[in-house]
Amino acid sequence: MIRRRHVFAIVRHALLLAWTLVVLFPIGWMVMTSFKDAGDWVSWPARWVPFVDFEPTLMNYRQIFHFGDTGALRREQTEQAYNIWKATFDSVVIVTVASVVSLLLGSTLAYAISRFRTGGPNYPYTVLTIRMLPPIVVAIPLLIYYASLPEAFTWLLGRRVEFFDTYYGLTLLYIVTTLPYVIWMMLAFIDEVPRELEHAARLMGASRLATIRKVVFPLVASGMAVTLLFVFILNWSEFLLALTLSQPKVLTLPVLLNKFQSAVEGRLYGPQAAIGTVVTIPVVVLGFLIQKHLVKGFSFGMIRR
Amino acid sequence: MSAVRLDGIVKRFGATEAVRGVSLDIADGEFVVFVGPSGCGKTTTLNIIAGLESPTSGDVYIGPDRVTDWEPRDRNLGMVFQSLALFPHLTVFDNIAFPLRIKQAPAASIAERVRAVAATVKVTHLLDKKPGTLSGGEAQRVALARTIVVQPAVFLMDEPLSSLDAKLRVDMRTELKRLHASLGATFIYVTHDQAEAMTMADRIVVMHQGRVQQVGPPLVIYGDPANRFVAGFFGVPAMNFIEGELRGDGDGMVFESPAVRLELKGGEATSPRAVTLGVRPEHVRLTRESTGGRATVNLLEPLGDETLVFLDYGGAGSLVAKVDAEDPLAVGDRRGFTFRRDRIVFFDTTTGERILK
Repeated sequence: MIRRRHVFAIVRHALLLAWTLVVLFPIGWMVMTSFKDAGDWVSWPARWVPFVDFEPTLMNYRQIFHFGDTGALRREQTEQAYNIWKATFDSVVIVTVASVVSLLLGSTLAYAISRFRTGGPNYPYTVLTIRMLPPIVVAIPLLIYYASLPEAFTWLLGRRVEFFDTYYGLTLLYIVTTLPYVIWMMLAFIDEVPRELEHAARLMGASRLATIRKVVFPLVASGMAVTLLFVFILNWSEFLLALTLSQPKVLTLPVLLNKFQSAVEGRLYGPQAAIGTVVTIPVVVLGFLIQKHLVKGFSFGMIRR
Repeated sequence: MSAVRLDGIVKRFGATEAVRGVSLDIADGEFVVFVGPSGCGKTTTLNIIAGLESPTSGDVYIGPDRVTDWEPRDRNLGMVFQSLALFPHLTVFDNIAFPLRIKQAPAASIAERVRAVAATVKVTHLLDKKPGTLSGGEAQRVALARTIVVQPAVFLMDEPLSSLDAKLRVDMRTELKRLHASLGATFIYVTHDQAEAMTMADRIVVMHQGRVQQVGPPLVIYGDPANRFVAGFFGVPAMNFIEGELRGDGDGMVFESPAVRLELKGGEATSPRAVTLGVRPEHVRLTRESTGGRATVNLLEPLGDETLVFLDYGGAGSLVAKVDAEDPLAVGDRRGFTFRRDRIVFFDTTTGERILK
């Protein structure tokens, strides 16, 4: 029996290892490419081993971060001068603000749905169907509205309010598109909080808002962390809406990534890989930071009574 | 002033009527226990007093104020919940301090009051722990401390002892009674356990199917039940019920059933009516003579100090008698039995109401 269990364990781990390789291979390849010089990006047979097959270089990073010797491939040779610093700033600001606002709004909405059955029993499903529409369907109509809203504002308020290619234009969009996810995830967590805890708090003198702030939200903190991470990743990697409704003034990292190509040399795989690596880092770091909550948050029903 | 008055409280949930017109005066400082089976409306009534539910009609008064539309927090109440409702993310100290912090008491006085109250209910050594690590009894004390700390005028308790084991539950009853005596506040306590009601209450409110069946001190409820439901709900083992017919011929009345015939003094002439005789096990006496009825012992349940005797007496079910443990009885013995006449009660078989008081 024991031997049999060993065999199972070995097979299981072998399968898991194989799958891990499948998952990590493209990421590893991307990171490796980001350290390769132009000639090694697409050479065949592939160059696998650093220092043996190819000489690692920081050239790509120099280019995207714009420091030191940027080598033969000069900034001027690319179609435009793209600054990753600016794109990083744009991404961080828009995504952070949108994710946090969406989390707070969605959590309070989920509370209302959970406790007051706001919108009737089918409301959560209605909310979800909004997300079943592919973004490509709404991208162009939204573009038309974003283009015409300033005129409407001029007419109504006598003041022009721009939406296209602005920080709040894109932030607003990201809040709206992620809200259904937040509502759904937080609804599951908030439903778990025993109502008696709230009754107790209210009898002890707490208002509804104080009860939410001091009892409900602390108890679903893990769920909020998981939801925040999920929404952050969604927004961080959003491409289509950003491509359609922003740039050139506001430019997020996924859009920048796509722009790194040269008229002379075609796709610039090296700098793209470097950007890809840089873009991945915050997600990984964030994941590690809230790892404790992730474990708790993903095992729904975590509240100890 | 912290008297509580309920005036014609009705609560409907959709088509079901959970509370059907409850009116009650609870005096300042009284310990009142609402008791009844599950779904009798006792918890709903408590929640209406607390303000967690609003009545469909009727009014709640606390002291001189009509509080029917008041928020729970404005009613100066303390409540202990069945689940205790300790906040799992806060330490015991922070749990007890919670109501003080909500009321924005100064930090120094918070620490002082929390420690004082913790000492009263003996949880000082637990102040740094989280509720999840406490035993049932400890959690119970913490929940009490959190309620006591703001010195509410009225304490509401919703089956607070139901999660404890039997021994602890009995100990906590005594402690709650002491606490009530030392605080002098009004206690309104809900339970389905008749023993808890009997041991702690100044007055018991028996509820059934949304209505108050009887209100009175424990011994009155036990000895002088208003109807068959109350008689059957209190007492372990339950009261014996024997269905029969009652006739009066002017100078006496006769209760007659297939197994038992009793002649009663006094009473007026009545046409025969269907009645149910009720007698508690401790008021059934076994005799060696053949006066009264004859019965066969079919089961013995020794309790230590007393023994329960189940008798085949010729009627439906068994007649239960509580006898001294020293009585030499064996299964199969034939005995005569009589009832203590002054403790027999009669109920109308159709309505269940007490008759011939």
